[in-house]
Amino acid sequence: MENSPTLESLQAALDAQQAVFEMHQAMNVEVFYWWCTAIMLMIHAGFLAYEMGASRSKNALAAGIKNILAIALIIPAFYLFGWWIYNAFPTGFVPIEAAAALPWSTSMGPDVQDMGTGIFWAAFALFGATTGSILSGAVIERIRVSAFLILTIFLGGVVWIMAGAWGWHPDGWLLTKFGYHDVGASGVVHAIAGFFTLGVLMNLGARKGKFIDGVPQIISPHSLPMTLIGLMMIIFGFFGFLGGCIIFNGGETGWTTIYGTPTNLSAFAFNTLMGFAGGIIGCYIATRDPFWTMSGGLVGIISVAAGLDIYSPSLAFIIAVCTGLVAVQFAKFLEKRGIDDAVGAVSVHGFTGFVAVVLVGVFAGGTPNAEGMPAISFVGQFVGAVVMGLMGFVPGYGLSFLLKKANSLRVPEACEDIGIDEVELLAKPYPEGSVPAMTAMTTSDVPNKLANSEA
Amino acid sequence: MGSSITTWENVGAYFTFADNPFALVLFTIGTAAIIVGLIVSIIRHENAAFDKIK
Repeated sequence: MENSPTLESLQAALDAQQAVFEMHQAMNVEVFYWWCTAIMLMIHAGFLAYEMGASRSKNALAAGIKNILAIALIIPAFYLFGWWIYNAFPTGFVPIEAAAALPWSTSMGPDVQDMGTGIFWAAFALFGATTGSILSGAVIERIRVSAFLILTIFLGGVVWIMAGAWGWHPDGWLLTKFGYHDVGASGVVHAIAGFFTLGVLMNLGARKGKFIDGVPQIISPHSLPMTLIGLMMIIFGFFGFLGGCIIFNGGETGWTTIYGTPTNLSAFAFNTLMGFAGGIIGCYIATRDPFWTMSGGLVGIISVAAGLDIYSPSLAFIIAVCTGLVAVQFAKFLEKRGIDDAVGAVSVHGFTGFVAVVLVGVFAGGTPNAEGMPAISFVGQFVGAVVMGLMGFVPGYGLSFLLKKANSLRVPEACEDIGIDEVELLAKPYPEGSVPAMTAMTTSDVPNKLANSEA
Repeated sequence: MGSSITTWENVGAYFTFADNPFALVLFTIGTAAIIVGLIVSIIRHENAAFDKIK
């Protein structure tokens, strides 16, 4: 009986097993967000293809290079100040103590004891890069690369994450005072970026030839197929994006929303796919246009993303179809007012994100939040949506206005005529090919129509 | 020269210069300077390119 286990030895074995379990749980958390971040990069591959395809061939590489540089600059910008802003400003414009998130803190680097900060920072940095890409498509073919990069650093490194601190942080004032609910970032990423883009477009002006006597003309893309494939790549990347929006908890808690309420990936799966399908159908019915049909997939997902955890899938589908129908009308409304949004980003991201946040209040009002927080309400969601809209629009308009006044926002007219690739990049996308730069201009009922058409 | 640890026992932050706040601030300034420098260089390149087509 000498080798019989004692109570102490059994406890030691149990403790050892518990330590192994906890370590593997922490590693699983890291693995999950690692792959979410990797999949999110597909969003940027998609935007790259989508924007290059949407440009005329003379501007295709310029559209691409600004997209690539945007990611390269937003990531270090988010390291320098983005993560600190998220942790320092949940209560408004006055910072709270968040020294651990400063770039010279020992928390902001490899640490044996910290298996969370780096992986969450990475996911948030990629959310920020997504806001930059949303701006990028709308302003193609006439913005200076330098101006775009200044704007995108401001949007991806400062503006959206300030709103993220208000609407996503556990102590964010929109949550603690209004019960704000936006699990899939319809407001804190899409509405912010979309309305920031609107502010920029108002100062940037339309592409030369877009409006003749005030009538919007079709400026055809040089590769509509590349644009459609790019959009589908963005949809793929959205699964990383939305995965990054859910919280993988250790212990017995399991999955929760970023607000600490219970959910799971099954809930996200139901409504992401139903929203995706509904958006495509809505935009197809509204336009019969290939570009808008594929953009409808984005509209659909964004329209239900705020309430991804709580909608019934059929309701999500109906919301997405209806938002798809209306988003096209909003794009048409903007175009008639002289806004040249080359890819419909304001409508797809800004308008849809705004509507998505409000609709959570309409359909899910009364749903409880985590203990101590107000329940979801229409008023809370509406206030949140307005804050997101203003938080995007005002900085976007203000900074682009300053750049315009400094004559640093837009390329010269001669450069627009020749093409930015040849003037600034000294490169041609298809040096041996023959790609028509532009078909003859015509008019269309489809806003921001990208489909090739015969004169 | 930058190692912040001499053993793997009871290690927390172990990256280079983690024990040297001055160096970390310096690297932060360097990172910011590269971003600003890149933007400035792009502006200069654009101005030169646009001047050629005037």
